[in-house]
Amino acid sequence: MAAILSAEAVTVRFGGITALKDVSFEVKQGEFLSLIGPNGAGKTTLLKTITGIVKPANASIKINDREITKLPTHSRIRLGLALTHQIVSPFKSMTVLQNVMFAAGYKKVRNIGLSILNFSRSSEKKDAMAFLEMVDIAQYKNFPVSTMPLGILKRLEVARALAIKPKILLLDEPLAGLNSQEASRLADTIKLISQNGMTTVMIEHNLSEVLRISDRLYVLDNGKYLASGNPKEVMKQPEVRTAYLGS
Amino acid sequence: MGPYEISLATGVGIYVILAVSLNLITGYCGQISLGHAAFFGIGAYTVALLSKLGWPMYLTLAAGLSSAGIIGVIIGLTSLRVKEDFLAIVTMGVAFLFVGIVRQQEFFGGEMGISGIPSHGMTKFAYLCFVLVFAMLSILFSWYVKKAWIGFAFDAVADDEGTARTLGLDIKSYKLTAFAMGTSMAGLAGGLYAYYTRFIVPETFGFIESITILSMVAVGGIGSTFGVVFATVLLVMMPEVFRFINDYKLLLYGALLFGVMRFKPEGLSGFYTLLTGNKEK
Amino acid sequence: MLFIELFIQGLIQGSTYAIIAVGLTLIYGLLRVLHVAHAGLFTLAAYLGVTVTNQFGSLSLGIVVATLTSGIVGVVIYRLVYEPILNKPPYVALIASIGLYIAMEELFRLIFGPFGLSFSSAPLQNVVVIFGIHLRACQIITVITNVVLLGILAWIAQKTRVGIGWRATVDDPEMSASFGIDPIRVRYLVFFVGSALAAVAGVLVALLTNLVEPTMGAVPSYKSLAIIVLGGLGNVFGTLIASLALGVIEAFGTIYIGDFLDRDAIAFAFLVVVLMIKPTGLFKSR
Repeated sequence: MAAILSAEAVTVRFGGITALKDVSFEVKQGEFLSLIGPNGAGKTTLLKTITGIVKPANASIKINDREITKLPTHSRIRLGLALTHQIVSPFKSMTVLQNVMFAAGYKKVRNIGLSILNFSRSSEKKDAMAFLEMVDIAQYKNFPVSTMPLGILKRLEVARALAIKPKILLLDEPLAGLNSQEASRLADTIKLISQNGMTTVMIEHNLSEVLRISDRLYVLDNGKYLASGNPKEVMKQPEVRTAYLGS
Repeated sequence: MGPYEISLATGVGIYVILAVSLNLITGYCGQISLGHAAFFGIGAYTVALLSKLGWPMYLTLAAGLSSAGIIGVIIGLTSLRVKEDFLAIVTMGVAFLFVGIVRQQEFFGGEMGISGIPSHGMTKFAYLCFVLVFAMLSILFSWYVKKAWIGFAFDAVADDEGTARTLGLDIKSYKLTAFAMGTSMAGLAGGLYAYYTRFIVPETFGFIESITILSMVAVGGIGSTFGVVFATVLLVMMPEVFRFINDYKLLLYGALLFGVMRFKPEGLSGFYTLLTGNKEK
Repeated sequence: MLFIELFIQGLIQGSTYAIIAVGLTLIYGLLRVLHVAHAGLFTLAAYLGVTVTNQFGSLSLGIVVATLTSGIVGVVIYRLVYEPILNKPPYVALIASIGLYIAMEELFRLIFGPFGLSFSSAPLQNVVVIFGIHLRACQIITVITNVVLLGILAWIAQKTRVGIGWRATVDDPEMSASFGIDPIRVRYLVFFVGSALAAVAGVLVALLTNLVEPTMGAVPSYKSLAIIVLGGLGNVFGTLIASLALGVIEAFGTIYIGDFLDRDAIAFAFLVVVLMIKPTGLFKSR
């Protein structure tokens, strides 16, 4: 199967530090890929480079063989990417439902003209409800996000990302900060979304959940490619174990 | 209504347009501006100069509106390049630059300003109604923007630009649009002001005036159109009604600005929320 | 000769900007607050300096009273105004600060009258000739004070425990707390030192112009905001260079482009041009 998303020869420097050095990877249609590696390995930087938030020194990023490296973030997102944030970042003046509604109305805010002429929010409300149900937080819809605990906000991140109907879902540590029970439940939800056909790339430190739900692992260490492949086999490789246990 | 009340009400109408227009930029879209009076001034000067050339009123007003809007977009373009803290300072700079340039130019009448602006050709009362129609239109426009999807997008930009961008929103166009809308409305207010006083001087459009407009928005409750309109009427009328306040007008504005931000950053609309128990938006 | 004279006038003016602006930039570096009311303390100190000197005939006493009072009022402002609203959106503190400044300006007008105060016999006005250029003692003292105070400040920030505490608090408040540095105490200290510096500038300007007015803080206050952006917010050295550069540019600008732009707008024209070319300011922000 052809790669739906590919990143080739990604090099990123911050000041004098090289955060990513010549990293390449690709994701196939429908695949569930997990990006793992110790802290500071460059995982988040890689996702931010793909979405255009970080400017690379060198890279070639493609969605369905279309070169997107020079596009601004919002144009890349419109080609089918969605990103959830490691540190939850809901729109604070809105309720849970409004957060997802805004995302669901992405077509109505594509340009200024449409956004001025469009008034009705009812169909987005319906869509948003469906996404809230998908991640099991529909009962909190009318609460302001400031009153919500982290577990709900982590799910809200996922619902909001799904609401822009992406082809590829990029998840940055969706389980971080959750207790093991919450983490396991959200992992199930994510797995279900992936099984319904969503191509998924996930950064996650919770290895037991990663091994449980991923199709494939991609390991980064210190800004460089270390290993990739079937989860169980990758974890057996000695260099991966060393990177994780620290030598 | 005596001539004094008519004149006062006309002033209120003009300030309502100004405050509502700043609320679009700062309240809705979250872009702080400390130089709004400069756009008020650009409108007033454009209208003053063109009307003295014999242009008809509808054309001069349209020119005032567009000249302020165009310069507003140019300033908006700067805002896209700088970080948020810088934006406050850049817009403050615009306030000083406007007065600094106008004051030194013969063409703009220098320190003496421009006098002898032609009459609008209406009775004072008719002109009041004319201004109030524009004030109503501004309020309606502002209300419409809030309810349409563009208002939703402004909310998102004001809350968290970065996140809005990762949802595919083209932040730049929204910020520029907010600047274009707000500054052109201020230009219109400037034009109405020029016909109203028929005499303008640079100081009227300085930094303190920008802060006066900002205090109307802040006291009313940043982002709440009705709160802002209410605060504007209150703040313009108060020194007029209680004459003794006039000497302490700036002290009052300063203390109010400070007090509201320190103790009730949601402004008057915060009290409204307390009373009704729900949020306006 | 005109060239050198303008250059020196620029350095003198720039030195007063630097002493005011450095407090602002320290405070910004620490709290991300644009402390407009800082210039209110500058004015307060100028009034205190002139009043005390006239009353007791001692400039030194005037300086001490002005500096200590402003320093303490600065800390009080932090404690009562900024501390409770630090977690609100940034415009809240900015607008509160502008309101506070305007109210202070009006209070000075009500208390001291609108026409200003002067020294009954202004000290340090004796003329010194250096390389054929006539300078008043207070002008030379202004430049020297600037160099000495900012030098000491740079030394404190780099070498002493307090300075390291300040820089650590700027970089990472939680981390510095875990090393036993009390971030709250660092904030009090920065407000005290910054406000005391503004006070020194206030007394110096009073000596230079021999006139203290309620509105004397307005222009330096807004100008110093432009300066701290140019100097890289939170960067002491950058602030010094930007202040001196602005002083010099203004001195020449008033002569050569004064017909087009008035003096007080030059700073902002300079700022807008620089930001257009280099959106991050002239120097790296801390």
